[in-house]
Formats: sequence, C-alpha cells, structure tokens
Amino acid sequence: MINPQDLRTRARDLLAKGEVRAVIGYRRGSRGMAAEPVVITRPDDANSLVWDPTCVHNLALYLVEDCKQFAKVHQHPEKPIAIVAKGCDARAIVVLLQENYFKREDVYIIGVSCETVGVLDERKLAHHPAGVDLERLESAAFAGDDFVFTTASGEQRLSAREVMADRCLECRNPFPKTNNVVFGEEKARTLAAPFAALVRFEKETSTQPVRWSFWNHQFERCIRCFACRSVCPMCYCDECVVDSIAFAVMPDTTAEEKANRVRWIERSASRSDNIGYHMTRALHLAGRCIDCGECERVCPVHIPLRLLNTKLERDAREKFGYEPGASVEIASFVSSFRDDDPNDFIR
Amino acid sequence: MERILDKGQLGDWIAALDGWEVFAPVLQDDVWSYQPVRRATDSVRLNHPNTTQPPKNFAFPQREVFFTFEQIKGEAPRLTPLVPKSEQRVIFGVRPCDGRGLPRMDRVFTEQFEDTYYQARREQLAYVGLACNQPPGRNCFCKSVGGSPVSREGLDVLMTDLGDRYLLLAVTATGETLMRKAGSLLAEPTGVDRGEAGRVHLAAITHPQRAVSNTTSVPARLKANFTSPLWEELAKPCISCGICTFLCPTCHCFDINDETAGSVPLRGSRIRTWDTCQFPDFTMHSSGHNPRGSLGTRLRQRVCHKFQYFHENFGMFQCTGCGRCVTGCPVGIDIITVVNQVASAADLPLTGKG
Amino acid sequence: MPEQQQTQYEPKIVAFLCKWCSSAGSDLAGVSRIQYPANATPITVMCSGSVSPQYILSAFRKGADGVLVSGCHIGDCHYLEGNYFARRKLYLVNELLQFIGVEPERFRMSWVSAAEGTKYSKIVRDFVEDLRPLGPQDKLKAQRP
Repeated sequence: MINPQDLRTRARDLLAKGEVRAVIGYRRGSRGMAAEPVVITRPDDANSLVWDPTCVHNLALYLVEDCKQFAKVHQHPEKPIAIVAKGCDARAIVVLLQENYFKREDVYIIGVSCETVGVLDERKLAHHPAGVDLERLESAAFAGDDFVFTTASGEQRLSAREVMADRCLECRNPFPKTNNVVFGEEKARTLAAPFAALVRFEKETSTQPVRWSFWNHQFERCIRCFACRSVCPMCYCDECVVDSIAFAVMPDTTAEEKANRVRWIERSASRSDNIGYHMTRALHLAGRCIDCGECERVCPVHIPLRLLNTKLERDAREKFGYEPGASVEIASFVSSFRDDDPNDFIR
Repeated sequence: MERILDKGQLGDWIAALDGWEVFAPVLQDDVWSYQPVRRATDSVRLNHPNTTQPPKNFAFPQREVFFTFEQIKGEAPRLTPLVPKSEQRVIFGVRPCDGRGLPRMDRVFTEQFEDTYYQARREQLAYVGLACNQPPGRNCFCKSVGGSPVSREGLDVLMTDLGDRYLLLAVTATGETLMRKAGSLLAEPTGVDRGEAGRVHLAAITHPQRAVSNTTSVPARLKANFTSPLWEELAKPCISCGICTFLCPTCHCFDINDETAGSVPLRGSRIRTWDTCQFPDFTMHSSGHNPRGSLGTRLRQRVCHKFQYFHENFGMFQCTGCGRCVTGCPVGIDIITVVNQVASAADLPLTGKG
Repeated sequence: MPEQQQTQYEPKIVAFLCKWCSSAGSDLAGVSRIQYPANATPITVMCSGSVSPQYILSAFRKGADGVLVSGCHIGDCHYLEGNYFARRKLYLVNELLQFIGVEPERFRMSWVSAAEGTKYSKIVRDFVEDLRPLGPQDKLKAQRP
C-alpha cells in the first residue's frame, strides 16, 4: 500500500531541489470527497497532494496542456515537469512519447501502482446496496482490497471490486512500468476478463437491429459538449477534423483557406453528425486509447463510450497484435502494418 | 388557489390534462431527464433529485432550424422559415432553481428583441414545480443567490410533498387552469395540511446549503478583481468542455451555421446550436486573434456573466444555484469556491488590460 | 400497350477507386463493353491508402447506400505501401460500422488491378444485388433540415 506521505515527500524534494519545475498531482477538491487535478510549483504545496480511490483523472492531459503553453510562446522548458501517474496514465504518456509530443527527459514520472485495486466509480457507489451517502462523504481511502469511506457519522468499508471502475476491473497493467520513481508494488490483478464490458454488451445486443437500436438511442442523446474529447490526453489536435468551427487561424491564413475549409461534421447535435463525431474519434484513437475510461466517466448523459474505444482496442490486440502504450520505440498503430494483417474481408 | 392532491392520484391528474403534452422526470440510462408521459402506461412518481439537463431545453433546444434555403436558377434563393408551432406543453417536477431560470432566459430572448423561435416554444410552456424539502444535491446553493427551495418564480404551479399527498399552489392563471382540470381529484387544504406545509417549507428554507458569501458585494468585488491572477490559478484544471454551460438553466450562448445539403443547386438550412464561452475558439477572430485564449479569461467570463454582468444589466444574478456546473465539472472547478475566493481577494489596481 | 412498370429501387454506391489499378480496371470494363449496373459513382483517389475514414462516413452521411473502396493488390501498390495502410485502417472502419449496427453488406473493399475489368464489373453487380434487399440507407444519412 502506498503511504501518501511518501508521495508528498518526494514531490517536495523534487521541487525544493529544483529538479522539476512543477508537479502535476491530485488534491482534495472543494465539492466533497473527490480529488481534483492540481499543478503545484512550491515545495510547501506538496502537503496538499493526496492519493486515494477518487484519484480517477488521467493527468497526462495536463502534460499536453503544459506543452501547448510553451509552444505558444515558442519556448522549451528548461526543467522537466513531474506527474503522478497510475498505470493507465503512464501508458498515455508512452503514447504521447511515441508520437513525439514531448521528450522523455521533459517529464519526470512519479508512478503510483494501483496494486490489487483500482479507483472508484462514483456511479457504482451511488447504486451500491450499502447505501453510502455520497452527499455526506468526506473522504475515501485505500485499505488493502477495500475502500474505506468516511462520512460525518463514521466509516464504511466496502470491497473495492464492488465499486471499482470497469476499466480497472479489466486492467491488465496496473503498474506504471515507465517511470522515474514508483510507489507501491507490482501486483497481479485479475478481477474481470479483459474487455468484459464489451463482451457483455455484444452478448446483450447480438443481432444487428438490436445493436442499431442501442446506438441510435445513444447517438440521439449526445449533446456535443465535447467533454469526451476535451478530457482525452490523446485528443490534442488544436484543429479537430470533426469540429467544423475549431480552425487554427494564423495571421497569414488566407481567406481562400478559410472559405475552402472542409466541414466534415457540423456543430449541431443531429444524430448523423453525432455518429460521425463519435466514429471518427474512435477511429482516431485506434491503437492509441489506453482505456483510462475518462471519456465515459465525464459524459453528462452517460453514453457508454468505452464500448467504442475498447472495440477497436480489442481488434488492435487480437487481429493486429498491437498493444497501445506498451513501448515508446514501436511505431503507432495506423502508421504500421504487417504482411499477415487480416485480408479476408477484401474481395 | 391551493388544493390537496393525493399522491396516488397524480397519474389521474396527468391523465386529465387533455390538450397538453406532458413531460416528467424519468431515470433512463442512469440519468434523470424529462421524458414524454404516455398517459395510459407511464406512472409518474416525482422522486427525482434533479434532472441532469435543465428544462431550458424545451424553450431553447440544442439544435434549432431557423429556415431552409434553396437556390433557384435565375431567381433569388428561396428561404422557408421553420418557426416551430406553439404547443401546450407542461413539465412536471421542475425544481425552483430551474423555475427561476426561465424568467432569466426570457430577459434575453423576449425583451429588447423577440426571438420568434424561443417565443414559439416558450409561450405555451408550463412548469409544474416541486419544492425541495431538502437540497437534492450537495452542491445546491439557491438561497445565497436570491432563490429558495420553495420559490415560485417562473413556475405555474408549486407542488409541496407532504408525505402521502401534495399541496398544490397555483402561481399563474395557467397554473390555475391546469389545476382545475383535476376537478374533483383535488380537495380543499385543511388546517393540518397548511400546518404541515408550513413546517415542510420552514425545514426546507432552514436546511443548510453551501453558499456564495456576501452576495450584495459580489458584483462589485468581481469587478474590482477583473485582473486578479486568481482567475488563471483557479482555471488551471479546466479542460474547456461545454458541460457547465450546457447543463446550466440560464446559459444561452449560441452559434448559427449554415449546413448545406447539396451544392448544385445549393440548398441547406440555417441552424442555431448551443455554444459555450468555455470552448477555446468561442472568441476566435477571423484574424486568428483570440481575446479569451487563456483558461483564466474564459472562467472569468462565465463567472462574471453569472454574478456581475447580468446583475449590472438586469439587477439579478443569472445563476440560480442549481449546482449542476459544480457537480458536472469533470475536474472539480467549483463556481461557489471561485466566486468566494475572487470576491474576497484583495483589491488590485485596474491596469486596463484583460 | 407497354405495361407501366414500377421503378425498382436502385441503390446508390460511391466507389473510391485508386487511380493506378482499380480506376483503370473500371475503365477497362468500360472499353471492353462489359455490361454491368450503373449504380456506382466512381471517385478516383491517388491511392487506397489515401482514403480517409471521413470519406466513407461522409458518403454514408450524404445518403450513399453502399460504399466501395478498391485498390491495388497487396504488393502491387504504386506507392509501395499505401494499400497496406488501407487494409489496416479500413478493417477498423468496417468493424466499427458493423459494431454500431450498420448492415455489413453496405461497406466493402476490393483489390482490383488495371487488368481486371471483368472482376470490377462483377464486384459492382454483386454489390448492387446485395444492397437491393436492404433498401435505402437511413442510419447514417443526415436528416435535413
């Protein structure tokens, strides 16, 4: 088990010694027990860092934001930035390194192992028969294979596997292999088969009309808030191909370029545009999505977005032998091929 | 006009609302949303906390087609306006914070300029509200922004849950019409009923809530801290999505685009969609200059619109304290904390720069 | 008196054909006077590898009933590797379309060389016949307004 104080000490030391210019981590939020992302620059601020089951966010997103800030002013940071990274977050960093978004020496990875448990799924907790009062929760903590929740009236202990996020249950790599330092041990976790949620879905919607009826309903509900895209570290394009309005305009962009800009998908939330948006995003993430599950967590209308991404991730693994975020050295999925890639579907 | 309705007869009242399209909160896909009520088969229970999306969507949908256009050879293009038919729709279970949202939308869409599309959807839209016996969420703060869990503003009827029955209060003439349709289902409230309602209301009003502090000085304090570095600091985790705006009962920024369906002959539609000041390109100029290119300036925009600019223009906060933006923000940005921190920060000299 | 025949539903196919092989193959079908249904609108692209999933989605969203992507045989790509990338990318497009419930018959890929006029005509003929019973595509098609 990780002692959060060790994490804070390391962060403080790194900042005090000037080894890093900032630390991206988690701290307690103001709206209850949930942790929130924070970027600290002063050694004393390390006291605010937490590590608990509500640390669900993929902080690699803030690495991307940090890079963009420097790029905007055409500068390169002199010192690396440190980041607290779970197994999934570390794999996201690997993908970003694969794509040369920044250099390995620009980031100091403070790995945290989820060990035998993952992080909390608040929706599962809300439905749990133990009736933990989410509204009065003050904190959550790791305790071996359990989560311990503290409210004003006392503590409640639940088996973590009952309220863990699906993506944690299915996770095969809870240990952040790419790191500069790591807290917690590497432990095997086999709580659910990989792609269990996907398999369950395919069983429940086994005919084409039922399948379409499901997705038609989901795509009708999407309000195009773009939260799924905004929270994904891999969706870093300033000019999103499925956003007809996000256009990177420079002072020297010509009127002709602006007029001829192709509008693949409109901003309005029609079913057809929503399908185009979600399918394109899933395809652009093929071989890059490391299943942090954030897109599904943040969707305000609970569209099961993981299904789209894990479907392509399973294809990448099983049909193409490709695992996202496994190694910095290998080429990206869509920029590589094998002689024995599936060919039977081609006439 | 006050009446008592047995909880078991709520369905009968709804069944009696012929001529009205009825909507009520339903839990679907693990999300509370307003869905049409099919009188014969659906049972309405009003046991929801609050819906994920506010009822503003009824008057101000995500996608509104203004008109279609068609290029006719040798002639001027033909425009066909598609103003929606004004329909009688009644929404059940509207919380007082959402009720207060409608008059705030009305200020924008019906006063200085009458938005035909908004008006058509809004003019026969009725809200049957439900008082909050206790805050439906931990991030409710209606009281500190001039509202209350038993507020009637924007509602046509206010229902109060008295355990096995509702007290119905007609707020508007439409509300009275709706109530009269219940006919003999309704009873005169007794002294016990009134006493119980008074007790419930008092408990609701005195129930602790989160709060924006010192609200009388908030607009001026925000103005004084326009250049505060706190804005960038507090906005740092923001991911520039649209959740806060799209779930807000009073946010109403929109974009208008022409969506073309064919090019020869050219035809298409002009469509209004929701927009948000939180998207990075919201204030992007065609020159490439972006006055609100930073997270802090965008956070400041939304917060100040709610708590300063709207107050300067209309004498009321635009925020009704529903708490959706607080609960919905994926990274925990909390408007209550933001306003409190910025408003209480020391004054900074105005440098004239944004 | 000729009988008034009910017009049969004619599926609309958009065919992305690589310039060097498949497009030439379709030309060969033409000059060889091979009779085959005229339902496919050909769009020549430089290489099957340059076909973005956006083209396919866009075709469906504009109302195409079927979409065909055809390129050089593996190993014969004019740009050496383009069709390898196409094979990988478009496998995913194919899978994802079916995953969301679009009929599997609506999207297909083929390798057609410049010499395979007959093959091209057969592919189109088969495609039309497979699409006819499905009726017009309305899942991805944009409903206007």
